[in-house]
Amino acid sequence: MRVVVDLNRCQAYAQCCYAAPEHFVLQGDEILVYDPAPPAAARAALDRAVQACPVRAIRVEHDEDRAGAGP
Amino acid sequence: MTDADPTLFAQVRDPANRADPYPLYARLRAHPVARQDDGLWVASGYAAIRALLHDPRVSSQDLPRSEHPRTGNPVKDWVVNPLKDWIINRHRPFIFRDPPAHDALRRQVMGQFTVSRVRGMKRRTEALVAEHLEACAGCTPFNLVDDLAYPLPVTVICELLGVPREDEPRFHGWATQLATALEPESRTDPAVHARNVATFDAIADYMRDLIRAKRRRPADDLLSGLATATDPEAGRMSDPDLVATAVLLLIAGHETTVNLITNGMLTLLRCPDELARLRADPERAPRVIEELLRYEPPVHFRTRLALAPIPIGGAVIPEGAPLVLLFAAGSRDPARFPLPDRFDPDREDNQHFGFGGALHYCVGAPLARIEAEAALTALATRLRAPRLAEDPPPYRPGASLRGPQRLLLHIDGVD
Repeated sequence: MRVVVDLNRCQAYAQCCYAAPEHFVLQGDEILVYDPAPPAAARAALDRAVQACPVRAIRVEHDEDRAGAGP
Repeated sequence: MTDADPTLFAQVRDPANRADPYPLYARLRAHPVARQDDGLWVASGYAAIRALLHDPRVSSQDLPRSEHPRTGNPVKDWVVNPLKDWIINRHRPFIFRDPPAHDALRRQVMGQFTVSRVRGMKRRTEALVAEHLEACAGCTPFNLVDDLAYPLPVTVICELLGVPREDEPRFHGWATQLATALEPESRTDPAVHARNVATFDAIADYMRDLIRAKRRRPADDLLSGLATATDPEAGRMSDPDLVATAVLLLIAGHETTVNLITNGMLTLLRCPDELARLRADPERAPRVIEELLRYEPPVHFRTRLALAPIPIGGAVIPEGAPLVLLFAAGSRDPARFPLPDRFDPDREDNQHFGFGGALHYCVGAPLARIEAEAALTALATRLRAPRLAEDPPPYRPGASLRGPQRLLLHIDGVD
């Protein structure tokens, strides 16, 4: 899986840090640190983070999405 | 364009329209920012609400001055109560404050509203939900409001704050009374106002004692953290600010969560396909909850004050005008959301106003999500054949914190 955060959109609401604390951490007031290539088992936690983001800045690409998308 | 009907918001406030205010919201949105005949300005369009949420000319300091009702006792009327009013006016909770005072208070609260503390409530919340549901097993119909949605959030916020368990029953009573304090009517109805003032005094007295106890013997809870932490800029939070903050967390975390759970189950029972899908796949819960926050939000509007003339949407909100941000109308704006009146958890780009936005974005959002997920997942997966005993249910009077007074469910049992 691949996690992409649009940092231009991100306003540090920190909702992802509560939804998936193993994958998103806010350093200081507004520096978001996240795991760009989490294991497949993180899927449910990451979906929580995607849904909870007030500005919808998080995108998760699942491996099957990319395989299905073709070249 | 036709002239806007300047009584639409008065109709929104009319309890007769509580069960379904959405047709009125659609009519309001024809003029995304409109003046009502009582001088109130109502923003109902998505873009307008968003702009005003981010506009520094829009103030949250719109509370009238605190004023204790006369008691006839001269010591109270001339000394004690004016002093209390003076303190209350200077130490409003941060939801009613603007920067920079707001920012320092909020930062201190966020510093204690830690990920581990909030996440730590997850299992406990799930256990509480299970306990309440199992107690309902033999009852049909049972009342979702009294039997689960109402008691759950008070217990959760009390445990998070660090209120001793034996004191919790008092909080249930206070929370019920103070929930009316956020409704505009509470400022105009003298009887409601007097009861709110008395309740606020009682809870403030209790909190002052509890804060002192926490300072003497800090525990690993939010109130101990707030009472003992030192902010690098603001220093230690003052006692009146601590009291105001604690009361705010209690009120804001209570009825809103009750509504999210109750409106949530009501919506799922009205959309049986979605209930079935959640039952089959509880991992849909986060999507269901975000869509509920858009479609049937716990808080329909918040009030503000214009500090300067604000040109917006072809109108100019004059300086000093009271303002309503009608979140629930903005979250159903067809200019922002395709098919807005459809409950669709698979909706993409769901940037709803369910938790407000900008600098006052709900502090308790992560906790609300945990509570709603625990409750709705358990209700969807464990109730056998739930069905509504009445639709629409009766609603509580509030137009802003809007939710059913009771929600009677027939069930064939609890799994």
